[in-house]
Amino acid sequence: MIAAEAKPLSEQVIDEIIARHPDKTGDVLSVLEEIQERHPLKYLPEETHDYVARKMGVSRSQILSVVTFYAFFNLKPQGRHTVTVCRGTACHTRGSKPLLDSLKASAGFHQDDEETGSTASFTTPDFGLTIRTVACFGQCALAPVAAIDHDIYGHVSDIKLRKLVAAIDAGERQ
Amino acid sequence: MRIHDLDGLHDIRRTGMMKILPGKPRIGVGMGTCGIGNGARDVMNSLAEALKKQSVDAQLTPVGCFGFCAVEPLVSVHIPGFPLVVLSQVAPDDAAMIVKAIASNRPPVEKALCKIEEWDHLTGHVMYGRGLPDLPNWNEIPFFKNQKKIVLRDCGLINPEDIEEYIAVGGYHAFYQATQKPNVNEIVEEVKKSKLRGRGGAGYPTGVKWDLLRKAVADQKYIICNADEGDPGAYMNRNEIESDPHMLIEGMLIGAFAMGATQGIVYLRAEYPLAVHRLKRAVAEAREFGLIGEHVFGTNFNFDIKLIEGAGAFVCGEETAMIESLEGRAGRPHPRPPFPAQKGLWGKPTNINNVETWCNVPVIIARGGSWFAEIGTTHSSGTKVFSLVGKIKNTGLVELPLGTPLKSVIYDIGQGSPDGKRVKAVQSGGPSGGCIPATHFDVAIDYESLAQIGAIMGSGGMVVMDEDNCMVDVARYFVEFSHSESCGKCVPCRAGLEQALRILKKITGGSAEESDIQDLEELAQMIKEMSLCGLGQTAPNPVLTTLRYFRRDYEEHLRTRRCRAGVCEKLFLSPCENSCPLHMRIPEFLELTKRGRIADAAEMIWLDNPLPGSTGRICQHPCESQCRRKSVDAPVNMREVHRFISDQIFAGPLLAEIKMRLAGRRMAATGKKIAIVGAGPSGLSAAFYLALLGHDVTVFEAREEAGGMLLYSLPQYRLPKAVLRLELDVIESLGVKFCFNQKLAAGVSLDVLEVENDAVFLATGTWKAMTAGIPGEESPSVWHAIHFLEQVARKEPTNIGKKVIVIGGGNAAVDSARTALRLGCDVTIAYRRERQDMPAIAEEVDDAQAEGVKLMFLVSPQRVVSDERSRITGIELMRTKLGDFNLDGRRRPVSSGETIIVPCDNIILAIGERPDVEPLRRSGIHVRENDTAAADWVTYETNRPYVFAGGDLVTGASNVSSTMATGKNAARAIDGILTGQDHFADLLKTVDVPQVVPAEPEGGARHTSPELPADQRKSHFEETILGLTKENAIAESSRCLRCDVHEPCAVKG
Repeated sequence: MIAAEAKPLSEQVIDEIIARHPDKTGDVLSVLEEIQERHPLKYLPEETHDYVARKMGVSRSQILSVVTFYAFFNLKPQGRHTVTVCRGTACHTRGSKPLLDSLKASAGFHQDDEETGSTASFTTPDFGLTIRTVACFGQCALAPVAAIDHDIYGHVSDIKLRKLVAAIDAGERQ
Repeated sequence: MRIHDLDGLHDIRRTGMMKILPGKPRIGVGMGTCGIGNGARDVMNSLAEALKKQSVDAQLTPVGCFGFCAVEPLVSVHIPGFPLVVLSQVAPDDAAMIVKAIASNRPPVEKALCKIEEWDHLTGHVMYGRGLPDLPNWNEIPFFKNQKKIVLRDCGLINPEDIEEYIAVGGYHAFYQATQKPNVNEIVEEVKKSKLRGRGGAGYPTGVKWDLLRKAVADQKYIICNADEGDPGAYMNRNEIESDPHMLIEGMLIGAFAMGATQGIVYLRAEYPLAVHRLKRAVAEAREFGLIGEHVFGTNFNFDIKLIEGAGAFVCGEETAMIESLEGRAGRPHPRPPFPAQKGLWGKPTNINNVETWCNVPVIIARGGSWFAEIGTTHSSGTKVFSLVGKIKNTGLVELPLGTPLKSVIYDIGQGSPDGKRVKAVQSGGPSGGCIPATHFDVAIDYESLAQIGAIMGSGGMVVMDEDNCMVDVARYFVEFSHSESCGKCVPCRAGLEQALRILKKITGGSAEESDIQDLEELAQMIKEMSLCGLGQTAPNPVLTTLRYFRRDYEEHLRTRRCRAGVCEKLFLSPCENSCPLHMRIPEFLELTKRGRIADAAEMIWLDNPLPGSTGRICQHPCESQCRRKSVDAPVNMREVHRFISDQIFAGPLLAEIKMRLAGRRMAATGKKIAIVGAGPSGLSAAFYLALLGHDVTVFEAREEAGGMLLYSLPQYRLPKAVLRLELDVIESLGVKFCFNQKLAAGVSLDVLEVENDAVFLATGTWKAMTAGIPGEESPSVWHAIHFLEQVARKEPTNIGKKVIVIGGGNAAVDSARTALRLGCDVTIAYRRERQDMPAIAEEVDDAQAEGVKLMFLVSPQRVVSDERSRITGIELMRTKLGDFNLDGRRRPVSSGETIIVPCDNIILAIGERPDVEPLRRSGIHVRENDTAAADWVTYETNRPYVFAGGDLVTGASNVSSTMATGKNAARAIDGILTGQDHFADLLKTVDVPQVVPAEPEGGARHTSPELPADQRKSHFEETILGLTKENAIAESSRCLRCDVHEPCAVKG
């Protein structure tokens, strides 16, 4: 099932997306963003890089440079659900690092000090859940903030976040 | 719907005003992202339901955010004839009440925060209505009081998804005006005259930048709005777009018209989906109304706006990197010149301005450049929006005239820290900015003043930090961020930040060497000077400012391998252990207690704290304020558990075993002799550890018994002398010798001690009472707290009289008051600040009050009032009020001019004590200006070799655990110097403690010790707090969450 889900987006869909961006300013970013959003596992497989490069008339190296440069793009399949812990300054001062560490530990990831920065991402082997960080959600007054898929939760504690994640698990099983 | 001319604009203006003042009630729900995050959508739905259910005809509309994030969701209600009422912290459950009030034509003042009678949108004006005299005006409440809303003029008042409401308050009129200018130069001149500077952070004059593009000749020019708000901790641009997107569009339209650009691009963060949505919608509306497109207002002006979502790269906020990104490449900056105005997007002349810069433009055109230039300071005109977040009570978006002092933002608007902790610093300007220490909070917020102290204005993020934030960690956090966001093009930034991060990790990880701080400083300077773009050039600022203002934090990590704030996790066991000055292994002794292993627990407790019974009664217990169990219910009562353990030991046969276990740990005799001067808690601690380390220790004490303040100042009802004597017995059993009645200089000379010993430790405490400097205080009926308490402790008569006033707010004041009460007096404590400011332990103040001690606040002593026979009849007190904030974040008590005379026959001054440093001075020991001994803060060495000093003598009056810690640390240092080795790790090693984290919080609610009822305890000196029962002590121990166990827990919670 996972293999099927991880397949690149069909060329037809990609063509449609490209066609919607006739103006070249900002098109590469916008096209790649849309393709990734459309993918069920929210990532850009290598085949897609090649196809997009060919269709848009840019080099493969340019596409690879772009997808590896920006934090938004994923080169690996992401979980069906994503917990994003904000690592903005206000969140940091209110303990988002221990929050992230604890969340990772509860999902079975070992604390790895080297995996830092604003782009850290961890996905469970069954692609059920991705834990990632964002540089800042701009929700600083609610710090610390975490998002589950697209819903933002403010003033989260270790216990609250684990409960929210457990609720996703429970929802999945039903 | 297309607008062709001024008449068309006026038509829409009228239609729009019918929406803002619809002639019926209007309810606006603040629907910015943070409002929604706080539940605004549910509030909106509940209000819609309630309106339907109660059949009330009112207009319900989403509006933007009014800026006061801390009290969201915000709802505004306007009933014709009344002011607009702003409601705060509205819950869905409040909807019925709100609608009911509206139905009876009454503003729902129950949840009201403030009112708005009329509003100057600067481009327009709305008169809501007068009335509701009991409700403060919006600009009378602290959060808004010093604010000036120019950029945020419409936010929270109009529907951001309705162009007609924007036009109703004068929107697009400035653009129309601009298009009618006979010469477009006038527009640029107006912007120049306004002295507006770039709000993205660098502060380049906007008019000058515009002029460059205007003069550029090309077939195509671009203008770009930089909305890639990547600075973590800043969100003003998000709100500006979400709450008033047309303001941005109008600013860009005016700019495009003035500079001759035909294409505008907004580069907006993808992390802001609502801003993307609202801006897209606003652009579509503006297009529909003919404001964007071809032949706008019948002129030859053609313009379009395109929105591009950024993909999460901080460096793209740099203009050349942003252009690279828009051209479909990785966002790597390139050197300037050529500047974008010469060669920008696709090689064409381009202007890039920040969101907020664009947002200022319509007002400047509407009201004139000189009007704008008058706001703020000469060189920094206008206002700036700041996001005030972090450890601050009133979080939110704050718009201020530039030049406002920072302390006004922190203390007046922000109202300081939310939980009474001390504000330590403000981080301004994000990864490019700096940390401003509280001592510099009087700095004016403008481009130059901030740069002068090493910070920058930046995009306006202000993150407030308190004592629980580690400044080294903050530097590491930002360098980690800049390092991961570095584009990698230039070496100083790419490799330099890598090395800076490596050093910072060494420091926060406890493996740094002395040279690391200097290396870091040099590296930071190099990166700053040599990087290609703004990211690298400013990335070292957080390091440089923390090194400049918080060097002690770095040194502490380096020299003591500790992180006082409890952030750098490799440097502490658990938050409680870290906050304990003695670093007691609290979670471990709790675990042992929980398992009933009383002797093991006691051994560990003694090794960490040689006076566990005393401290178990009187410690300030900083551990509780850090306890994570607080997030479940209440902190673990750690102090009472170790009191319980020591009481168990003293009560029975285990005492002999503990003595035996401790004696068994005594290291082989070293033959080194150490003299300790002062048998207070610091000297006793040093003696205990030095004896265990195998040294020959003699303690010289001026008084006739050991214990210092614990014996002579602490009242019996808090600390029975029997407990202290048993603790002394344990210390003596380790071979410590005592010589009493030996006062330094008078009885025992330092020179002699030095000759006869290998090292000397001075801990003579603070026994000199401070005077109040008021007329009449030399009267024998005016006591100093320590003298009064000592006399009572010695059971000597005091003749204290019947009515006593105690001056002060610390523990000595409360101890004196409760003691005098027990001697039969009527007692009042008079303190110059307010109750929450009292330094005394809060429970002690409660207990005193329960026993009948009266409290008087905001008064300061003026003079002692006596009768003709020199008998005291009262004290004259000045009523004070709290004035401006000090730089330490407390309001300064200022005289109100009103004095009162309170009758009394005795006065106790409890306003502090100082060490008597004269004997030290005479012995050539350096003394600091504040009359404390000068000693190294880690090793406690004085300027005289092998002479150490600790306790209150060095720190000034502190508390029992802090003063004991100096003795403990000094013992380690003395042993280290005498033996050349560090034996502490070996000495403190104990049994293995099971490392298990409870799957669920155990132990139930917090257990407290039974206490004698107030009426039964106030007439005698028997101990008032009776201690936990065994059952409760064990249950209380099991409440610990074991924060010291860092491995992932086995059980998923």
